[in-house]
Amino acid sequence: MSTTVHDTALAQAQAASGAPPSPLRRIAGGLRWFARRSPMSAFWGVIAAAILTMAIAAPAIAPYDPLKSDFRAMTKPPSERHYFGSDQIGRDTLSRVIHGSRASLTVAVGAVVLGTTLGAFWGLACGYFGGRFDIISQRIIEFMQSFPDLILAMAIAMALGAGMGTVIVAIAITRIPFGGRVIRAVVLSLKELAYVEAARGLGASHLRIMAQHILPQCVAPYLILATTHLGVAIIIEASLGFLGVGIPPPTPTWGNMLADSLNAGLVPPWWLVLFPGAAITLTVLAFNLLGDGIRDVLDPRLRGAV
Amino acid sequence: MHSYILRRLAFGAIAVVGVSIVVFVVLRILPGDPLIAIFGPEGFTRLSDAERARYMADLGLSDPLPVQYLHWVQDIVRGNLGHSFFRSESVAEMVARRGPLTAEIALISVVLSWLVGIPVAVISALRPNSLGDNVARFLSILFLAVPGFWLGMLIVLGLLFVFGYRAPLASVSFIDDPWANLQIVIGPAIVLGLGQAAYIARMARSSLLEVIREDYIRTARAKGLNRRVVVALHALPNALLPVITLSGVLLGFVLAGSIPVERAFGTPGLGYTMALAVSERDVFVMQNLVFLYAVVFVVLNIAVDLVSAWLDPRIRYG
Repeated sequence: MSTTVHDTALAQAQAASGAPPSPLRRIAGGLRWFARRSPMSAFWGVIAAAILTMAIAAPAIAPYDPLKSDFRAMTKPPSERHYFGSDQIGRDTLSRVIHGSRASLTVAVGAVVLGTTLGAFWGLACGYFGGRFDIISQRIIEFMQSFPDLILAMAIAMALGAGMGTVIVAIAITRIPFGGRVIRAVVLSLKELAYVEAARGLGASHLRIMAQHILPQCVAPYLILATTHLGVAIIIEASLGFLGVGIPPPTPTWGNMLADSLNAGLVPPWWLVLFPGAAITLTVLAFNLLGDGIRDVLDPRLRGAV
Repeated sequence: MHSYILRRLAFGAIAVVGVSIVVFVVLRILPGDPLIAIFGPEGFTRLSDAERARYMADLGLSDPLPVQYLHWVQDIVRGNLGHSFFRSESVAEMVARRGPLTAEIALISVVLSWLVGIPVAVISALRPNSLGDNVARFLSILFLAVPGFWLGMLIVLGLLFVFGYRAPLASVSFIDDPWANLQIVIGPAIVLGLGQAAYIARMARSSLLEVIREDYIRTARAKGLNRRVVVALHALPNALLPVITLSGVLLGFVLAGSIPVERAFGTPGLGYTMALAVSERDVFVMQNLVFLYAVVFVVLNIAVDLVSAWLDPRIRYG
């Protein structure tokens, strides 16, 4: 099995160095192992990491201030001065695309972590306790899933009013059912295992069994779920921005930029359309493929479920 | 079968009630003053307290919430879907005028998704891990990552640059002028259809690969039947069951996806109305349209369940 391969590799590394490896080296070893197992996903992982770095270091990388307009360069096509052109009030598109990654990633990570975590705990409780609580919860989750995510997120974002927090909450709510379903299924199969029964026999409390014996087994599915849903969250965020219920302008987000381009005249200039959308596509592609890779390496059984 | 249908219908009825409560809670009770939504934060501060109270009373917003909810349900049952804040047209008229376009888009896109997705899946599944399979898989992963509305904007721009062509903007029904109607509908339908085709191809591929491994397929091959005949007549029908379910679910998601896509194409359909209502914070239009969409989803889900139960006795008796 995959974990044992990893463990033996680790053990060999330990034997060779003669001392327990430092956490940093362990992480590096894990990454190397991942890259060997699945080079394609590692490649996309590097791209995802690059996009993440770009988001963090946006002010340092961006050539211009994303909010500053230059009235001598309004709606100019890509050139030496503005590689991605400039928009109708002379803001540099490249800088806006770079800064846009911040909003997209903050919202996506925030929403997925919040939504999947809430869903995971809900699923844990459902799977562990079962009974009427579980039945009612499953019906509620079915309701939530019968709404397409975009419409639900749109309605919530509109009701709560514009802002980054709102968008995160709106998207997070649409992610809850997925976390709930997957983790519940994992817990249902774990609950019957002998070691859980043994813990119960020893008189461990419910809380202790859940925290000590079941939760650690849920970490891998949780990670897989979270990465695969980042892409969806980014697309929903962009759609909300495009529809005007995302993070309000002038904050540059990819969705806002695309919505703006429609206001830039009868025919939107191609560079205002092409670059933000390409950024969305590349980011989503990177996270989706990285997620697929993580899933295949950590737990291929989840292939159908996530 | 009858008891199954009855059970599904009963569940559907409960779902519609549940959905109406969810919609009401989301759009009416969540924090956020509807007057701020209507007048904007600046306009809101300019209103005096008396004016605020009067508007709230006019809109029926000062009643207790359960009363508001009952009023709303009453209106819907009577077929009164309310008015927009900003336009004179009633929501019911909007739905009647613009709904057919969106329905057309959704149907064409589903047909397209099958026409594209199934052959791709068959090619992939017949030769797993071949070049064709890998290209098909990469394309389906790519299409899952491309936002539909962006693809739509690119298509509009591309057609304009290369052919100087722009689809007609005014709404035309299929009966009056089929050609103009098709020009309006085909763009969004292709974008949404390709997006679905990616899911369909993925699902059909894995489902086919599973079915091909079963004993009855081996029996058919052992009888000396041609490989193609076995796949087309023996494997495909069984492999398509989960695809039918998925397709029904996706149809619901297409209706949602058509909101930004119709905005990108400027299609005068219901999705565009919804996009407009959202950007204008038109709470009542949103509330009724979201509810309408939700009812459509519930009905679709039931229809899909019934169709798959009809096709597959394992579900009916399971």
